[in-house]
Amino acid sequence: MTSTVIDIGQPPIRRHSALLRSLRGSLKGSEYTWALAFLVPYIAVFFTFVVYPALYGLWLGSEPSLYTELYSDPIYQSTIVNTLLFLGVGVNLKMFGALLLSGFFMRPGWWVKGLLMIFVLPWAVPALPEFISIHWMLNGEWGLLNNVFYDLFNVDGPSWLNEHWLALGSAIYSHIWKWMPFWTIILLAGRMSIPTEIRDAAKVDGATGIRSFIYISFPLLANLYLICTLLSTIFTLGDFNSVTFVTGGGPANSTHVLATLGIRDAFELAQPRLGVAAVMSALPVMIPLVIILMRKLKTAEVQL
Amino acid sequence: MAVLTRRSVLRSSLGLAAAGTLARPYIANAAATTAEVWWTQGFVPEEDAAFKSMVADYEKASGNKIEYSITPYAALRQKEISAITSGVVPDMMEIADFAITPLNAWDNNLVDVNDIVEPMKSQFLQTALDCCYHYNNVTKTRAYYITPMKVAAIPFHIWKSLVEKGGSKISDLPKTWDAFMDFFKPVQKGLRAAGMRNVYALGYQLTANGVDPLNTFNAWMVAYGGKDLVTPDGKLHTDDPKVKEAVIKAIVNLTTPFKEGYVPPGCVNWNDADDNNAFHSKLMVMDFDGTISTEVALYHKKEEYDDILTHGLPLSNEGKELPSQVAVFGPIIPKGAKNLAAAKEFAKYMIQPKVLNEYLKAGLGRWALPIPDMVKSDPFWLKEDPHREAYLTQSVISPTFPIYEAYNPAMAQIGAEHVIMTGCFDVMNNGVAAEQAAGKAFKRMEEIFAKYPIAQS
Repeated sequence: MTSTVIDIGQPPIRRHSALLRSLRGSLKGSEYTWALAFLVPYIAVFFTFVVYPALYGLWLGSEPSLYTELYSDPIYQSTIVNTLLFLGVGVNLKMFGALLLSGFFMRPGWWVKGLLMIFVLPWAVPALPEFISIHWMLNGEWGLLNNVFYDLFNVDGPSWLNEHWLALGSAIYSHIWKWMPFWTIILLAGRMSIPTEIRDAAKVDGATGIRSFIYISFPLLANLYLICTLLSTIFTLGDFNSVTFVTGGGPANSTHVLATLGIRDAFELAQPRLGVAAVMSALPVMIPLVIILMRKLKTAEVQL
Repeated sequence: MAVLTRRSVLRSSLGLAAAGTLARPYIANAAATTAEVWWTQGFVPEEDAAFKSMVADYEKASGNKIEYSITPYAALRQKEISAITSGVVPDMMEIADFAITPLNAWDNNLVDVNDIVEPMKSQFLQTALDCCYHYNNVTKTRAYYITPMKVAAIPFHIWKSLVEKGGSKISDLPKTWDAFMDFFKPVQKGLRAAGMRNVYALGYQLTANGVDPLNTFNAWMVAYGGKDLVTPDGKLHTDDPKVKEAVIKAIVNLTTPFKEGYVPPGCVNWNDADDNNAFHSKLMVMDFDGTISTEVALYHKKEEYDDILTHGLPLSNEGKELPSQVAVFGPIIPKGAKNLAAAKEFAKYMIQPKVLNEYLKAGLGRWALPIPDMVKSDPFWLKEDPHREAYLTQSVISPTFPIYEAYNPAMAQIGAEHVIMTGCFDVMNNGVAAEQAAGKAFKRMEEIFAKYPIAQS
């Protein structure tokens, strides 16, 4: 009889104490309270500045009618095309250029190091003044570029920001110019971590120059290159500055990308929910990218 | 030295929390006579100084406190929209564009200010009152949502010296619309022949930014007889042949000079203040832009200030006087304002004719006073300065009508989407015919108007 009472009462107590033990880990007595006291502010900050804004954004853009309205906006359709072009052309040109340049900056010589310092300046300087300067330089009437054209060849250059393709090209070019140095440095670091023994062995076997790149450097950099490209795609999808400050989304709203259309819808149309919906419509691209990136990071743990 | 223990930390934290709680009644008491106000930064420092001075006078007279912040209009617009969306609002905010009031009145997000405006109505310009009278889709009625303080029409600004240098005379300015525009074309040719490579005859906004492009288009459309595009009952009349003809003529006559090289090409990407800057740098002989901010910015450069001619609208091509479209600026009170009484009291103070007159005068008269009798009786407005005289005559004395956004919030979305300017751009850069561009714009306008049906009483 007595043993039956004990059997019923013990399991929950055991479970409770087991849970407490696992939460406490190796902490004892007041250590646990101190740990909690230090942890709570971080959890509060995380919820306030990460979880809450993300959930609030999802809630703001949760009404299906917003997406109907979004698709009925003629600007939205051209924005999707622009975004895909911006990603496809901008990211690939930038990353491939960075890959080639990282090889160049591996060369020995003090002047290469000096050149590298100058090359990283666009990335190091704040984006806003740079893009505003580019906007001014491209002004058709009094911009630096057309004035140089006029002084050298006595002809007026085109109105760079007045034509859709020239304007979109200018925004993509500005993005590449700004961010290529950063990715060049990352890929340069990747190249530098390739053991010299491998190169030396390849040299002995006759693999130099382009053959060394194809058979040694590129295979070893492939994972890093792919991860950088995925990361860059995610960053570029959220790039607001290149378009806003170079073309302003113009001419006639024809160069908007999703990041800038969201702001236009939120604050120019005074419809913040529509703006959030515009940005949220990038999620079908964004989520698979993040999943692929996470998987690549997991599988590429021991590789370059 | 005190030892930091768990108990001491907890004790101190509790002490701080208790102190915060005890301090609150003081803040709450203070808030009863304190209003938080967001105001737009002026184009010149004098405007901000005038606001600060008015606030100081009010605080002295009432004993109340105004906690204000002055913000550039673009940033203020974002701040206002964010505040209304999140529900954390100030007690009063000045409108920073033409969309925020009609759209938020429609959604029942604003407090009506009938009790402030009604007692003052008889003194105010009717068009100014009409600009403040918006439709609420929840109550299905119209009410005053803006306290009218500043009105603005769109005048022409002309460099007299450039006209003369280009071989023409200001005294020869034609009286009718098309002839008035054509007058500047030979001036451009004359100036270029005199060695000015980058100078253009005409300056107006053909961009898809801000509120100026739609205002510009409307002025041209009204000049060609299309005033009834939207009527005071909030209805769109794209089916009216007269309106359709006027819209097509406006598109043609705005875009043809651009294609012919009489308008700076960069105007398709201008922001609100870019035409002011372009005019100041003498990129064009004439500019069509709201308020006399262009002149006021040069107030302390007397030679340049005097070199500008401020000119109201020419007559129609048939020789008839054209009404100017007028916008109003002033404060709105968002729903959820914690100190509603204090905000309303301040608004009542600000629209007292004497107070308002002194405030706008101290701001160099950039904004027109919406009180016709006072405009006529105070020499500051119509007698002391040629720019103010032309501007006030156009904005307050001559025939006016309100911006279409007051009739129906759909027009706010159409303006913000730049439906018509996108059509103009297609004509200028993509070879689309004006009729086709107008048809496409009408289709989009009809779609947007369908979202904002206004019940007729």
